[in-house]
Amino acid sequence: MALIELKDINKTYQGAQPLHVLKGINLEIGRGEFVSIMGASGSGKSTLLNILGILDNYDTGEYILDGKLIKDLSEKQAADYRNRMIGFIFQSFNLIGFKTAVENVELPLYYQGVNRRKRHAMAMEYLDRLGLAQWASHYPNEMSGGQKQRVAIARALITSPRIILADEPTGALDSKTSVEVMNLLTKLNREDGMTIIVVTHESGVANEADKIIHISDGIIGKVEENVKHDNWNSALIK
Amino acid sequence: MRLDRDTFREILDSLLRNRSRSLLTGFGVFWGVFMLMLLVGGGQGLKQLLEKNFDGFAQNTCIVYPEQTSKAYKGYQKGRWWGMTETDVDRVRAMVPELEIVTPIISRWGQTAVKGENTASGSMKGVTPEYVGVETPKIRYGRYINQMDLADEKKVCVIGKRIYEQLFPEGGDPTGQRIAISGIYYTVVGVDYNEGNMSVNGRATETISVPYTTMRKAYNFGKGIGLLCVTAKPGVEMSSVIPRIRSIIQRAHSISPDDNQAVQLINTQLIFGIVDNLFKGINFLIWLIGLGTLLAGAIGVSNIMMVSVRERTVEIGIRRAIGATPRQILGQIMSESVILTVVAGMMGIVVSVGILATVELAMTQDGVLKAAFQVPFSTAVTAALLLTVLGVLAGLMPAVRAMGIKPVDAMRDE
Repeated sequence: MALIELKDINKTYQGAQPLHVLKGINLEIGRGEFVSIMGASGSGKSTLLNILGILDNYDTGEYILDGKLIKDLSEKQAADYRNRMIGFIFQSFNLIGFKTAVENVELPLYYQGVNRRKRHAMAMEYLDRLGLAQWASHYPNEMSGGQKQRVAIARALITSPRIILADEPTGALDSKTSVEVMNLLTKLNREDGMTIIVVTHESGVANEADKIIHISDGIIGKVEENVKHDNWNSALIK
Repeated sequence: MRLDRDTFREILDSLLRNRSRSLLTGFGVFWGVFMLMLLVGGGQGLKQLLEKNFDGFAQNTCIVYPEQTSKAYKGYQKGRWWGMTETDVDRVRAMVPELEIVTPIISRWGQTAVKGENTASGSMKGVTPEYVGVETPKIRYGRYINQMDLADEKKVCVIGKRIYEQLFPEGGDPTGQRIAISGIYYTVVGVDYNEGNMSVNGRATETISVPYTTMRKAYNFGKGIGLLCVTAKPGVEMSSVIPRIRSIIQRAHSISPDDNQAVQLINTQLIFGIVDNLFKGINFLIWLIGLGTLLAGAIGVSNIMMVSVRERTVEIGIRRAIGATPRQILGQIMSESVILTVVAGMMGIVVSVGILATVELAMTQDGVLKAAFQVPFSTAVTAALLLTVLGVLAGLMPAVRAMGIKPVDAMRDE
């Protein structure tokens, strides 16, 4: 059974002019897959990601995550799913400015009720894995973009989620750090078998994935099985 | 919501890392509590200072004294001078059973007392032992005039504080020593330390009290009395018996029943009542102003928290995205508000009590406190409880708004 199953998902934003953003999305993503969702802005890719991340509701269809139907969850249940199943990585890092790196990484565990000492130790371990141990007590505004994104990745990883959802993870980074971040995600996928879904509009980034799903105008277009993702680095550097 | 040390630290972190925001928010409440406590304590002190003036004076006393008549009556011209006599004492006592004490006073002003080389001037008062029920002496040494002194017309006296200080500058117990007043020697039997500013015929500190009978004889007062002091029994309104006292005396002395000027009655209950009402009014105003300031502070907290919640949309969105439930967000904002108001309020209480204590220190002379500028413990507790409630109320709206922030908002608000 696939880890993520979307069946005929529809989503309309109500307003003066209702906007039908997702028009019958069918999608399956298996355990340990590295998938990128590509599309222009306004194509509905961010909405799709929000639904996948249980940040937003959908109108009709079925979203089955790890065998469970995700529909009409209470806020508390949704929060719990997000906390335990999904790690988020955002374009703008979304670190809390008045918290140090290690405190930011700890935060998901705080909401799980893990005690301070234990979560501090775990956060340090993850920062260490990402080579940021010496930056632990620095605030986000004292770090470079690449460092901030690595802190965000550590925060996404700390709850040992099933899925990493990355929304334009390299959007605010220069090409060199973009490569680093993408290599990191690839490594997580290859070595730890983590399921990774990256939303992007950069083909270079998308090419790093095993599978590239093209979305335009709320409909899934072609799905490419990627065979040559070694080209990605060279494509970006060029 | 969990309420353990961890949660507390998380909240404290949010408050301490955003110091200027927290300071601004807390200041309103601090100021409100500070003002309220200062006003309450200050009012209390002023009231005590004023009450000090009435110290030792019975609150349900009426003093009766004669004045020139203002109306012609029964063949008498108006403008007649008349005087009260000892018979009036018996009449009033017999005919107004609601009265507790009915006692005459005779006095002479500008008397000089001599003890060796020391002299002191003051007024001399002939009193009965009952007079303690009207103006309570604070006996420092010895005793007050008693029934035996009265019956035997003894030449004894009780001296006021200033007289004592002037005649016996070396201090010590003066009882048994003799002082001379107009060539007559009196044995000091007591020292009265009453310092109240309210007294009959001269300040208590500058008064030499002798038995009524002794004074009557020494200065040939005959049956005439200067004043009549009466106190009402417990539960009796003085003003309800005053008309009867007046008419008894008017009838006995052939004074027109309409002549209110001829018989003067000073009702201290009325004076005390006015002062009491005044302070009730002031107290009401204090609480009105204080609570108003406090409320304004709380609204300020609510307002700033509201702005801060808007500012923190992204932060709250992030928290929600990584697993905070709406309840946890609600709890956090509410707790921030409560902690902020309570801490700021407590500081207000501490600082105001500190200032009140300094005022008290300045009001202390020779180790004796003139008036306690203090906030009652119960008021402080009430204020603390009130603060908590205000904190909850102030946090409610911002917290509900924060709870409404969806995790997607964090991403939109870039």
